[in-house]
Amino acid sequence: MATLRSEALILRSVDFGESDRILHLLLPDQGRLTVIAKGARRSLKRFSGTLDLFNHLSVQVEGRRRNSMARLEQARLIRGFAPLRVDPMRFALGCYLLELLDRLAPEGGVRADMQQLFSFALDALQWVAARPPDLTQRTILELRALDALGLRPELRDCVRCKREVVGEGEQVFHVAEGGPLCGTCAVSLEGLLSVHVGTLRALQQGLSLDLGVIDRLSMGPSALAEARRLVTRLQHFHVGMTLQSERFLDRLFRESGISPSPAETLSSDRFPVA
Amino acid sequence: MRSSPPIDRLVESLKRLPGIGEKTATRLAFYLVGAADNQVQALANAIGRLKQEIVLCERCFDLTDHSPCQICLDPKREPGLLCVVEEPADLAAIEKSASFRGHYHVLGGAFAPIDGVGPDELRVRELLERVRGGEIQEVVLATNPNTEGDATAHYLADQLRESGVKLSRIAYGMPLGGDLEYADHVTVGLCIENRRGL
Ligand SMILES: [Zn+2]
Ligand SMILES: [Zn+2]
Repeated sequence: MATLRSEALILRSVDFGESDRILHLLLPDQGRLTVIAKGARRSLKRFSGTLDLFNHLSVQVEGRRRNSMARLEQARLIRGFAPLRVDPMRFALGCYLLELLDRLAPEGGVRADMQQLFSFALDALQWVAARPPDLTQRTILELRALDALGLRPELRDCVRCKREVVGEGEQVFHVAEGGPLCGTCAVSLEGLLSVHVGTLRALQQGLSLDLGVIDRLSMGPSALAEARRLVTRLQHFHVGMTLQSERFLDRLFRESGISPSPAETLSSDRFPVA
Repeated sequence: MRSSPPIDRLVESLKRLPGIGEKTATRLAFYLVGAADNQVQALANAIGRLKQEIVLCERCFDLTDHSPCQICLDPKREPGLLCVVEEPADLAAIEKSASFRGHYHVLGGAFAPIDGVGPDELRVRELLERVRGGEIQEVVLATNPNTEGDATAHYLADQLRESGVKLSRIAYGMPLGGDLEYADHVTVGLCIENRRGL
């Protein structure tokens, strides 16, 4: 890779050595890229305050040679997301999104997919910036993040026999296979979550509606609890661990009077997942 | 160059210091081999005593050799004015600007959710207790003017608001995304002078 000029979103920024900074960037053409910004902490002139978390930049990167990291040569701010700096809740949700992207975004990938991921990231930050977060929004945003990362779950048809799952009562959802199971296919399997068809429909709407009108989607407390549990399980399954920023986000939700995981108070697990 | 295990050991240790590479470390090591015994002993002592004698001030959490520290005990400082900073180096930067005559509170960092740093990992509880003590009238939030520092300042402001103290944030006299530790003292002085309410 020679010189690269691109837009970029800062996913993560880590101080390195005495005066440098290592940045995880998301690029529209190639997914995640780690670069080193030499002298970024000492020289205020060189990058003049552009290397902040959430910043959407126009960058010039010098490609990696042998064992060295790609080097950030220039950065110009296209857009910051100011409300994420001044509202701790929005900051927390924004960090959570960035960590999810940082963990799951591939380094390189099909170009169209990467562009879609990049525009999802910007839209999502804009969305978080525009309104105080609540639990429904957080849930839908997480689901859409998984979708943008190519990990969209099936929400309508049985993942085994492909027949539409219908019915009034509780159905089951197979986390590892990423979708619901019909009554015939659901016999004696472990790792299943209970979920109502109505909850799956609401989540499906959350995926298909325009981001701008997601606010209109409302879920009752029990549907929301089911949805949270399902999305959280899916997310943990794909990330393979609990995101660090989840604890912080949960705490801020709790301090502002929003219970972070109403699912914990309901026992909707039919078979506990190991 | 051929060398011996004692020299290699020293070079390895020196290389871990900021701004020192293999070449400088080697030069320093060979300099010390040739230096007077008492000079080398004095250096070794100073380094050895550093970690034993430096403690955290029980009030402001700055690094000090006596707790409470000199700043906390200084009767000429305004008792009602408290400046909240991320790190001891930030406190030192503000002191160097000679623009602030109140007291300090060192948080120990700023929020870094992705590294698991939230309110419990910083000295937030200690700050709230200090302010509830009643003597403080104004809190200047001087966390770094980057995303994490801003978010931390606003969180603290939300927590402190009910105590009724005056709240202010350092002015953006320096570029966003910067680091107080590396700013020149004129800029740091301006940041203190131009603080504003929240
Ligand atoms: Zn089936
Ligand atoms: Zn002190």
